[in-house]
Amino acid sequence: MSEPLDELASEYVLGTLPAEQRAEVEQRLPHDAELRAAVDAWEQRLLPLAALAEPVPPSAQLWRRIERNLGSARAPWWDLLAVWRGLAAAGLAASVVLATLLLTRSPVEPSFVVVLVAPQTQAPGWVIQASNNQQIQLIPLGVMEVPADKALQFWTKGDGWQGPVSLGLVKPGESLSVPLDKLPPLSSNQLFELTLEDPRGSPTGKPTGPIQAIGRAVKVL
Amino acid sequence: MFDYEACLLACARGDQRALRQLYEQDSSRLLGVALRIARDKALAEDIVHDAFIKIWRGAGSFDPGRGSARGWVHSVTRHLALNAVRNHYREVPLGEEHEQVANIELDGHSGQIYTCLEQLDPARRTCILHAYVDGYSHSEIAQKTGTPLGTVKAWIKRSLAALRECMA
Repeated sequence: MSEPLDELASEYVLGTLPAEQRAEVEQRLPHDAELRAAVDAWEQRLLPLAALAEPVPPSAQLWRRIERNLGSARAPWWDLLAVWRGLAAAGLAASVVLATLLLTRSPVEPSFVVVLVAPQTQAPGWVIQASNNQQIQLIPLGVMEVPADKALQFWTKGDGWQGPVSLGLVKPGESLSVPLDKLPPLSSNQLFELTLEDPRGSPTGKPTGPIQAIGRAVKVL
Repeated sequence: MFDYEACLLACARGDQRALRQLYEQDSSRLLGVALRIARDKALAEDIVHDAFIKIWRGAGSFDPGRGSARGWVHSVTRHLALNAVRNHYREVPLGEEHEQVANIELDGHSGQIYTCLEQLDPARRTCILHAYVDGYSHSEIAQKTGTPLGTVKAWIKRSLAALRECMA
């Protein structure tokens, strides 16, 4: 075994490689048998040192979080969402269920979830998730029909605000990330809606056209 | 004696009870490892969370020819913790509370690695322990021990070579 390779492996396992070199080693490992053998040997040599870290009992919630996120390996959340899309039932019930399903999607837990439903049919059309209070993601559940001379505009209004604030124009069928740094933090029950406006957005700065989808933020644990 | 290999095989078949048993067996130990490196309980729990998801998804591709199943479970967790502190600046600055590793009693632990560590100069041994157990970078070790960075790098390199020779 070459010496530089063994040095690289030893410092990778010891933990002293800088981030870029760590990433390089991790990329090479799956297809570099020699490096892999060197890393494995060092893992085995140093493993007994793990006993020097005092065990710490985890909080009661940790297993529940793990268990909740196991399912996502087999059933991606959007498959499950597709099931619920057909259920044009009460918007709130759907939001609660969707909130639970969204939680299984990623280790980063959204703190708020909003399901935007069509006002007449209550059919869910978009989902908003916020994994922190600074940024939200608007995710389409399908492609909404928009007349050629119109655009979809995204709005939000919190309790006590003067009126809705524009979060920008949205293309049908596309996800959108919106930073919320100019607005107060997200709060429960905050209103989100998509309205049909002129191609360059509402001329008045407030919603003028018909509501295409609407929903309120639900806090998730 | 917990059968790690059988546990991973069961996980690969989709048996969640096996993962739960692994959690009961090892979560405290793994959280201890992650907490020493991350130095923040919430971040350490996130790391253990991600480790169990990774173990669950990766159980099918675990290759016993590459080492022990117990070692793999530990390495998955420890490397996630190292990546977390290397990729982001440390949330928790180095404090005085982590001095203890320098004076850690190695006598109570058996194994070739401990015998070989005893043969290293104490200052160099401290560097190795800070790196492995606390996840310190070269510069953090230099800062912590008041040793020039170049010296720390050279000591670690030579100590690793000495350990490899000693354990051969």
